[in-house]
This record gives sequence, structure tokens and C-alpha cells, in this order.
Amino acid sequence: MRPLPAVLAAAFAVAGATGARAQDSVFGIRGLGFLDRSVSGKSSALGGGFVLFDPAAAVNPASLAGWHSTAGWAVAAGSDRSFDTGAGTASLSATRFPVVGFAGNLGAKLVLAITASDYLDRNWSVQQTDTVSPRGTPVVANDNTQSAGGVTDLRVAMAYRLPGLTLGVGLHALTGSTSTSVNRQFPDDSSYIPFSNQQTTAYSGVGVSFGALASPIKNLLAAASVRFNGRMKASTGDTAALVPLPVEVNGGLLFQPLTGVSFSGTVGYAGWSSAANALAASGQVRSRNVWSAGAGVEAQVWRVGRGVVPLRLGYRWRQLPFPIPTDSTGTTASILTEHAVTFGLGFDTAGGHATVDLGLESGSRTAGALSEGFTTLYFGLTIRP
Amino acid sequence: MSAWRSAVVVGLVAGIVGCREQITTAGRCPSLCPRTNIELADTLLAMADSADTSVRGFVLTREASFLLLSTLDSLKGRALIRFSALDTIWFPATAETAYVGGIDSVRIALQVEQRDTAVKQLKLLVYRLPASFDTGATYASIQPWFADSTLLDTVPIGDSVVEGDTIGVRIATGLLIPPGDSDVLSLGLAIAAASPTALTVGSGNLSTSAPVLEYFVHARTPLDTVTKETSVEPIVSLFVMSPPPAQPPPGVLAIGGIPSARATLRLSLPKVVVDSESIVRATLLFNITGAAGGFARDSFYLLAEPVVRDYGVKSVLWPDSTVSGKVLIHQGQTGPVELDLAPILRFWGTTTGDSTPRLVVVRAYPEGSILGAVNFDSRSAGATGPALRVTYVKPYTFGVP
Repeated sequence: MRPLPAVLAAAFAVAGATGARAQDSVFGIRGLGFLDRSVSGKSSALGGGFVLFDPAAAVNPASLAGWHSTAGWAVAAGSDRSFDTGAGTASLSATRFPVVGFAGNLGAKLVLAITASDYLDRNWSVQQTDTVSPRGTPVVANDNTQSAGGVTDLRVAMAYRLPGLTLGVGLHALTGSTSTSVNRQFPDDSSYIPFSNQQTTAYSGVGVSFGALASPIKNLLAAASVRFNGRMKASTGDTAALVPLPVEVNGGLLFQPLTGVSFSGTVGYAGWSSAANALAASGQVRSRNVWSAGAGVEAQVWRVGRGVVPLRLGYRWRQLPFPIPTDSTGTTASILTEHAVTFGLGFDTAGGHATVDLGLESGSRTAGALSEGFTTLYFGLTIRP
Repeated sequence: MSAWRSAVVVGLVAGIVGCREQITTAGRCPSLCPRTNIELADTLLAMADSADTSVRGFVLTREASFLLLSTLDSLKGRALIRFSALDTIWFPATAETAYVGGIDSVRIALQVEQRDTAVKQLKLLVYRLPASFDTGATYASIQPWFADSTLLDTVPIGDSVVEGDTIGVRIATGLLIPPGDSDVLSLGLAIAAASPTALTVGSGNLSTSAPVLEYFVHARTPLDTVTKETSVEPIVSLFVMSPPPAQPPPGVLAIGGIPSARATLRLSLPKVVVDSESIVRATLLFNITGAAGGFARDSFYLLAEPVVRDYGVKSVLWPDSTVSGKVLIHQGQTGPVELDLAPILRFWGTTTGDSTPRLVVVRAYPEGSILGAVNFDSRSAGATGPALRVTYVKPYTFGVP
């Protein structure tokens, strides 16, 4: 590696270390949590526009055809967020692992893979201070409510190469749990004993996804995927709820007008209104159908030694399915949207047996007057033994 | 992989995966607050379905850590001490045995526990008692022993003597211990002053403040020039009172005093109250009958403890100090008293405490070390009887999903 790529990589590391927020959000307190994106380092740098073509992403099973040898990959994402609490700005941070996977070729046409990716993030913690008067005398009460955990998407998928067409299918199992706890302290009055309570909720569900890649014309690759989800079961041991999960449809294009230059874009739709009734039954705001879109450009114009370091740029936008209530009854709510500009690069190492992809996102999430800024650094490592 | 690249990759991994987790933020309600708020409820439970009683006699006067000497009209008290036997043999040098030939003098050291410094001309009167006095003696039965003929010494107690000070009484005259007394000396203590008062000194039940009897002896011929100083501590120390405390009358819950009294309350509680998770405050409300007794300006605690096994007055108390509640009582205090019971109710909600009886014993603390006592209206008094005030969190619903 030459000094410049090393400096750029170090700059990414510094950006990730000094603050980034990525896979979770203060808005995860609503609905089923914060909807994760199972993207790789490369897809993140391209604004998600490449995600349907990315074999390391767990969206389109047909994209697994991009693995021409045995491969294993993992992505880590460090995220820093800033949120205006009304009484100041809270600086938050978290580290998540959006996707890990392993793939192998069976013959020349078939690729098998297993992946584990974040589906719903339910990590949040809220601190509130109030004054209560249970016995007529005011006493300060500090409440902390927090949730830890989420839902993971385990996928077994395969892709089959046909002339001019690749098809894929994936079987999904959703699993995970959250531990939610509430704690009340009375800091100024020792005659009151702190109160705490905790609940563990387990989640399970299944789904199936189909995907296709085709090249209708020269230098243009088209992709599509659809995912059918069953109902996710949430159970606490003595209480259970079934939440119908959405049908997700995605379509994308990858255009390579010149050697070393490519444009990619993806549009997605998820019918999250399927979960609306179940959420309303538990006193939450009804979920809604959402769109997402992302686009990016990659230019392999930077040669370093015998290799090429691709530079990537992108932009993405998406709606999130769980509106944020603006009144205590939840009859009015604001739509939560998210957008980000992205940048990244990648390079091979270990004699071409390993690839490092870096992606840096900076954006915001907005729901009415509430806004959360975030910076996320994705680090993807792919090993091809 | 080159060293350069390895270093960069490791640095990147450390930079990202050096996991940082700061996800706590102030809630912005109603948008970003939990679905359910913590709600408190407060209720007053009358003890109509409960039972209460009190019994005196848990710590007796011979088990107390103090000896009461009193000339008060309302309470008179005198102390009786039997010291352990004097060693009549010692070894002044190798191959040399000395036998006690005579007692030159004795010195008694007493530690003052409580006194009323407003009362002047306080004097300690030391009497010679029969070596083997009856430990079941009463105030009336000991009067013949406190006669002028048995008075060994009268020692003024200066006004500067305060709690914790030691009174030293040296009896200069020689003492003879008859052979029938087996080298055991017993003494009686009383006080006199310009006006009725009371004084407590440490008893033999508390080694740090126990009375000490120091003998100054000389040896028998031919070693009659050899002397020795030796000390002994009590084997019995007690005091007697007039009038003696009686069992609490019906309608009264008596706590404290000597012999000490304890109140036992059997609580009948709704299930929600015994939910270990939800109680944030529980207070047992008493109403003092009359005024709290004890030394002037004295104070003591009322301590509530759960019962592990119900054997009536011999019930076994839970020995964990964290599962208890206490409140400070001052001498002369009147009116309502609030005793924290939340730790006990929470204990009953645990797996360990669930099977224990819903019994609470309230006693004075430190029991047997203070004279303080208090009487409360019992359940039979109706509205002024004990009541339980509970503040709890209403059932908290996390919600699913």
C-alpha cells in the first residue's frame, strides 16, 4: 500500500473513532425498533445503490453469483449521533455488525451462502426526571427506561447462473430478543426505595426471498428482488403477539458506460402497513408503507502499484415505517425519513485474498421538529482463501 | 500482507470495533418517551384484619448491658453484683508459690452509662452482700442487705463525671471473705443525691464497660512481704426495680424497657402490596400512648424485623439487617410515629421470604441497653391503632411487541 491510501484509510478510522452513529437511532423506541440495513462496506459507500448487485449484502439472493470462489465476509459499523433533546444536544454512539456471511461455489453455476444480518435494532435508553407527590410532599423521581437487543435475520440462500440471467432464492429465519427494563430512583429522599422491573421479549419469524440479475443490454445490469415475510412472533413467556411483516420489493440498475466507471441505483418498497393493526393493538402508532432509494458512482481511476483503488460516492434516502407520535394519544404522528451522503473506497490486500471496503455516511433522520444527525463508518472485510 | 497494510487494517478494526456504546438520551415526550409511564399509588391499610400483641420479658435485668440505680419516685432501682472468685494462689517466682494471706484493700471500677447532671451531690453507696444472693431477688427482698451495717463506702460522684467516665471506689478497710463464701465477693450498689435521680453503669454483660473488682493482697508467711494486684469481673450482675414492669395491659402495645417488651403484628395484606417489585415506600403508623419513657433527653430506635418461624414469643427473627426498618424515638415524644416497613414487604415478595409468616416484631434497639420504652395504641383502639401506608408502582406494562 502506498502512503496516500494508507492516509485515507487512517482518516476513515479517525472518523469512525471520533463519532459516528449508524445502525441505531433514538427513533428506535417506536414501533418494532429501528429498521436496519444489511449493507456491506461497498454498498454503504455507494448510497445503497449497489445493494442488489452486492454479493456481500443480504438483500438479493441472486447477487451471490458475484462470488466466484469461497468467501467469508463481515461488516462492522461505528456510528456517532447527535440528538437535540430540547434541553441540549445528546452525543450518542454505538458499534454494530450489520452483516456477516460465508459463501461457496458448488460447480460452475451454483453458489450457496449463509448470512446473518441486523433486521431490527431495539437498543435505546431514555432518562427522564419528574417530580411526584405520592404522599402530598413533592419528591424527585429519576426514571431510566432502556432496551437492549434486536432481531437478526439468518439467511440460507443460493444463486444459480444461467446464460444472461442469474436467479436466487433465500430462506430467512428471524430470531432475537430484547431485554427491556425500567428503573426509578428517588435521589433526594432515601425513605423511598428504587423501583425496577424488567421484561425479556423473544422474537421469531420466517421469510423467503427471490432475486434475479439480468443484462438486457450491453453494459447494463438489472436486478430485482422480492421478499415475503411471515408473521413475527413476539413473546414474553405469558404474553405473545403476532406481527405481520411486510412484502419487500426492490429493483435496481447497474450501468457501466466506461471501463472502471459504474453507476448504480436501487429503489425499494416495503409494505409495512401490514404491521399496523398489530402495533395499534398494543397502543402504538400504526406503521406505514415505505419507499427507499439510493444511487452511487464508482470510479476506478486511482492506481496504486499494480492495483486499483476504487473511489465511491453516493446518496440515499428512505422512509422509515414507524411514525413518531406528536401527541400523547398517538393520533397525530410525523413521518420519519432518513437521508445521507456517502463516500468510500476499497482495496485488496493479502495478495488479493482479502478486500477491505470502507464506507462513510453522513446524514440525518427527521420526524417533524425532531432531528437526529449521524455519521457512520462501515468497515467491511472479505476473505477469499 | 505487508507490515504497512497490517498496521492500517488493525488500526481500522480497533478504531471501529473499539465498541463504544452511549445510547442514553433525555426523553422528549410524547414523541420519544416509553409507551408506559411509571405511576405511583398510595393507600392506607387499616389493620382491621390483622392481629397485634406485645409481651414483656425478652431481655431481663440480669441480661441487660447496664445496671440501673435510681431514687426516682416513679422508679427505684438498686444493683447486685457477684464477682468471680479471687485466685488465692500465685507464683511470684520460679519454684515459689504464694498463698493469699490477707486482702489489703479493694477497688471497684464502674463505667457511667447515663446520668442526669442537673442533679447535684450524687453519691454511690457500696454495700456488702451475701456471696450467693438469689438472682430472683426483688426490690423488696433485698432491702435488708442495704443496711448501714453492710455499707462499705460512700463515694461522691462529681458533677464533671459524664457518660463513659469510670468511677473508681477504693475501700481502704481490709475485707475478709469467709471460707464459706469460696473467695467470692458480692456487692450491692445504690445512689443518693440532693433530689431523686437515676444513674446507669455498665453491667457484666458488656465486657467493654463491665464492673471490675481489683484486689490488693499480700501473701501468707513466709512470703508475707510479697504483694499482688489482681482483678476479677462479675459472674452475675443485675438490678431490681420498684415497681417492677408488668405485662402490657390489653389495648396497649408496649415496646422497650427492661425487662424488654416487644410488639408482634400479624399483617393481612393484599397480594399487590407483597409484590416485591412494586413497593417504593411502606410505613407502619403508630400512635404513642402517653409519652415515650426513658432517661431525660435519651433516645432509642424502634426496630421492625420479619419473623422467619412463628413460635409465639420465641419466634425466630430474620437476621439480615437490610430486611428491617427503624425509626428514632426521643424520650418524651408523643403523637404519631412512622416506621419504615418497605424492606420487609419486599422481602416477603422474594422467593426466600414468600414462605415466611406475615409477622413483624417491633422492638427497641439497642434492646437491653437502654431504659427507653414506648406504648402504642393497639388495633383494638380503632382509628388510633396501627395502620400501614403503602406507596407502590401500579403494574407496569412494557407492551408486546
